[in-house]
Amino acid sequence: MTTAPRLDPPARVLVTKIGLDGHDRGSRIVAAFLRDAGMDVIYTPPWQSIAAVVKLATEEDVDAIGVSSLATDHLIVPQLVAALREAGLAHVGVVVGGIVPADEQPALVAAGVGAIFGPGASRDAIVAGVAALAADARAARDAELREQTP
Amino acid sequence: MDARWSSPDIPPALVALVDRLRRGEAAALARCLSLVEQGGAHADAIGRLIGAASGRAIVVGFTGPPGAGKSTLIDAFVGHVRAGGRTVAVAAVDPSSPISGGSVLGDRIRMQRHTEDPGVFIRSIASRGHVGGLTETIHRVLDLMGASGRDLIVLETVGAGQSEVEIAEAADVCVVVNAPGLGDEVQALKAGILEIADILVVNKADLPSARRTADQLRAMLTLRADARDTPVIETIATSGAGVAALAAAVEARAELPAEQKRARRLRRVRRLIAQAAGRAIRDRILGLDDPRSDAALEAALEGRCGVAEAAERVLRLLAYPAPPAPAGAPSPVTGRPDAPPGERSPPPSCPSVIPPYGK
Amino acid sequence: MSREAVQLSLPGFDRDFAEWRAAYAGQIGAERPVVNRSGVEIKPLYTPRDWDGSAYDADLGFPGQYPFTRGIYPTMHRGRTWSQRQLVGLGTPADYNARVRKLLAAGATAISFLPCNSGFRGLDCDEVDPLLLGTCGTVSNTVDDMDAALDGVPLGRISTAMNDPSPFTLLAFTLGVARRRGIPWERVSGTSNQSDYLSHFVANHMFYRLSLPGSRRVLTDHVAFCLERLPNWNPVSVVGQHMQQAGATPAETVGLTFSTALQYAQDCVARGIDIDVLLRRFTFFFDISISFFEEIAKFRAARRVWARLARERLGAKNPNSWRFKFHGQTSGVDLTRQQPLNNIARVATQAIAGIFSGLQSMHTDAYDEAAATPTEESARIAVATQTILREEAHLCDVIDPLAGSWYVETLTDQMEAEILSVIARIDAAGGMYKAAESGLVQGMIGESALRWQERIERGEEKVVGVNCHQAEDEEGQGKSTERPDLDRMRAHVARFRAFKESRSRTAVEGALAALARAADDEDDNVFARVVEAAEAGVTHGEIVTCLRKELGFGRPLVVA
Repeated sequence: MTTAPRLDPPARVLVTKIGLDGHDRGSRIVAAFLRDAGMDVIYTPPWQSIAAVVKLATEEDVDAIGVSSLATDHLIVPQLVAALREAGLAHVGVVVGGIVPADEQPALVAAGVGAIFGPGASRDAIVAGVAALAADARAARDAELREQTP
Repeated sequence: MDARWSSPDIPPALVALVDRLRRGEAAALARCLSLVEQGGAHADAIGRLIGAASGRAIVVGFTGPPGAGKSTLIDAFVGHVRAGGRTVAVAAVDPSSPISGGSVLGDRIRMQRHTEDPGVFIRSIASRGHVGGLTETIHRVLDLMGASGRDLIVLETVGAGQSEVEIAEAADVCVVVNAPGLGDEVQALKAGILEIADILVVNKADLPSARRTADQLRAMLTLRADARDTPVIETIATSGAGVAALAAAVEARAELPAEQKRARRLRRVRRLIAQAAGRAIRDRILGLDDPRSDAALEAALEGRCGVAEAAERVLRLLAYPAPPAPAGAPSPVTGRPDAPPGERSPPPSCPSVIPPYGK
Repeated sequence: MSREAVQLSLPGFDRDFAEWRAAYAGQIGAERPVVNRSGVEIKPLYTPRDWDGSAYDADLGFPGQYPFTRGIYPTMHRGRTWSQRQLVGLGTPADYNARVRKLLAAGATAISFLPCNSGFRGLDCDEVDPLLLGTCGTVSNTVDDMDAALDGVPLGRISTAMNDPSPFTLLAFTLGVARRRGIPWERVSGTSNQSDYLSHFVANHMFYRLSLPGSRRVLTDHVAFCLERLPNWNPVSVVGQHMQQAGATPAETVGLTFSTALQYAQDCVARGIDIDVLLRRFTFFFDISISFFEEIAKFRAARRVWARLARERLGAKNPNSWRFKFHGQTSGVDLTRQQPLNNIARVATQAIAGIFSGLQSMHTDAYDEAAATPTEESARIAVATQTILREEAHLCDVIDPLAGSWYVETLTDQMEAEILSVIARIDAAGGMYKAAESGLVQGMIGESALRWQERIERGEEKVVGVNCHQAEDEEGQGKSTERPDLDRMRAHVARFRAFKESRSRTAVEGALAALARAADDEDDNVFARVVEAAEAGVTHGEIVTCLRKELGFGRPLVVA
């Protein structure tokens, strides 16, 4: 299994789908994987708006967001990342899973996406990738409390 | 200067964060909730900064068996509250996997009506993994939500296991949601959550057996002293039918003076204790190894006394157990269990039938 | 064929069999049970003890004869091979038109139309981020759009499969085009490919727009309209593909799909439609996975089960009603992103299974589907795969060529039993509509999906390039993904907006009011009003919005 550190309380991860696509097999399976790895998963049905995802990420104070995209919805993920930054959630790790053509991956990475998992990615790879990003996010959050001045 | 700010050991960043929370900022509330779940020094500091005052918020608890449609009903109820202009915070407690400790927090996604409404703040809480226990966390969560200035707080739990305790203690008004067609739903209610209901809801009232379920609940309520002011309301969460009636009933109970609300909470806790005590006594009678009880059983079997009378006699045996027999010595039992209790050994200290509630 | 002829009585059978079994056990050592995707345990050897042919007459019969296990027509692929129907859809209506003209020039006899995902969501192109427009299908929101998309396409002579969920606006636009061109509606032929709202609801929400009760109402109205006005149109395609793609096992898929078909048939009969008029126009749409023998047994069992359901349970009298007509699509879920050219072998294997299963129509996936929207080159190879199998491999010489195999016949019987147990479970839940409404079906599919994924994670199921035989990744190869031209798409949206401004406001408002009234009036036909609205210039998004207001918005049911 994964060697990624377990957070206490468990990592809070949002698994969602933005845009137009409705295929939720992948997001449901990944949600189950992350739960079985001990994470608290907040799961949404497809078709969420970017504004709704930002509100949800804010209220649930998530450490990472997994976006499942099987029908080109990854094209608007950079907009989601920008909206998260705008809302003060720059520390939240963003992972994209599904079908992202190789030539369109660099743009996502440049926009701030932490990891991309294509079809066939193993459970261990997904869990480890999400856990690492969540740990980074948690650490960044805790650092804020030390550094910030009133 | 406010005394709260003077604690020298509280990091200024945390003070600023709590300040933002008090101004109602959702991100600050969310962050403080995480810190409270995490426990430790930050959680304690937040507790000190917030103090005991939890604002003016009314806390409405919703519980009921899985599949009763609680989340959908809360979605509609919150919509009703929002239409009146008041702000809402929802704390939704979901069970965690007993195996991994992880969870899929699914309740809020049934509240899709408010995905972009800043007047509704929803937080999912996994039932496990809380420093100091879930009940402790729930109280702090409600305090923070209240301090952030929300007008109404909804606490949702699944009606299974211990969750009725949290609701009974924490809520100003307890709504128990039920639905027809959940199999042994009424049995499930008997086993616990009916005891804490201020308001009973039969959701999915468009199903054919809804009327029968409502009648069963009313019949069960007659066993309770306050049956008359416990309404049974039929709703259809998906269409919104009955939601206004539910809101009015919640309102009527929320408007009670503080001391009456406290009395109500005490009554709820008393019923819970009574029920737990009943279970404990039953277990002890079934496992009773005391020859004196045989006389009572035989008397009941042979019709010399009624079952109720026999029960009284056995209860007395429980309260005044026979002193432990010295090894090898003959039994001191007289075979006359109805002897006056004064002749027996003094009662033991409080039997351990009261579950460890709360703080 | 007589029973005696197929019963084998070998001298010393039992002795020889025991000898083989001992030798097998000695050489194979410890062996994990082999279980197919549907949960049937597969033995290493099948003999006449497993299937002795004694039920040949009752269970198999001959092609074109009840219960049609061996094929629904006497001639099957000897007489007429399957139609090659590739899904096409990309960009603006003009882009689609260019692609379809090429296909027609290359000899295609049937076309399909796949709308943009914005259309699936019930939105017009001006309501969506232009980045997402036309990336998975063609933007088509008006009769004008459809006219441009079908420019030069002989509408009265060519069959069109519309991927057109409730409320069937694409068909409405097509009928508008037919009227403009003076083509009688009676000659318009094709299929409403995505009419199966229950499969959308339980499997992927992709085509799900209206609430369950609303979808139910519109579907029966659509069926009634088509049976009355469009004699060459198939209004119902019951889709197993979505469920198998979402993770249902092959047997579960057939059971759930037939439960769905039973539900639609009962709903239509309740509306007064004659069962034989209805079932003649039923078609099915299934996935073909790479589990080769299982798929063949699945389709053979399906033909038998459907024939019996249609005749015995639905009381259909006409043999045409008993025939299980299906379109097969090779399963995209089996394809891998790793070593994408390997997918050509996978698709070919799936296609052979489909051909041996006796399908009526087929779509083969392009090898790059797991990584991107297919390119023209990969789409060409997908079509060529079918052509090679048909023209070169002599797969069509014999009807139902695997029949009589002790394995295939045993497996067919076992798959039938699995299918029937799923149908029984749905029956017990009150039928498919109720089972979907309660989340039962979604739970079944989700569990199967997770079980399957765990088999792959544990290495019990091998996927070349994924959990075995991994190679240096050859993905990407610097190939650039085709996306619609953003400027052309923006120009299209601008034209669409201008069109909306130019319309007769009274005509649009009148048509929408009539639509709303029809939704409220059980005796009116909602789909007839959809067609009128389309012809009055009402857009796709406006029609769906109006019906969502009247009949309820279709929200996904979440089963976590």
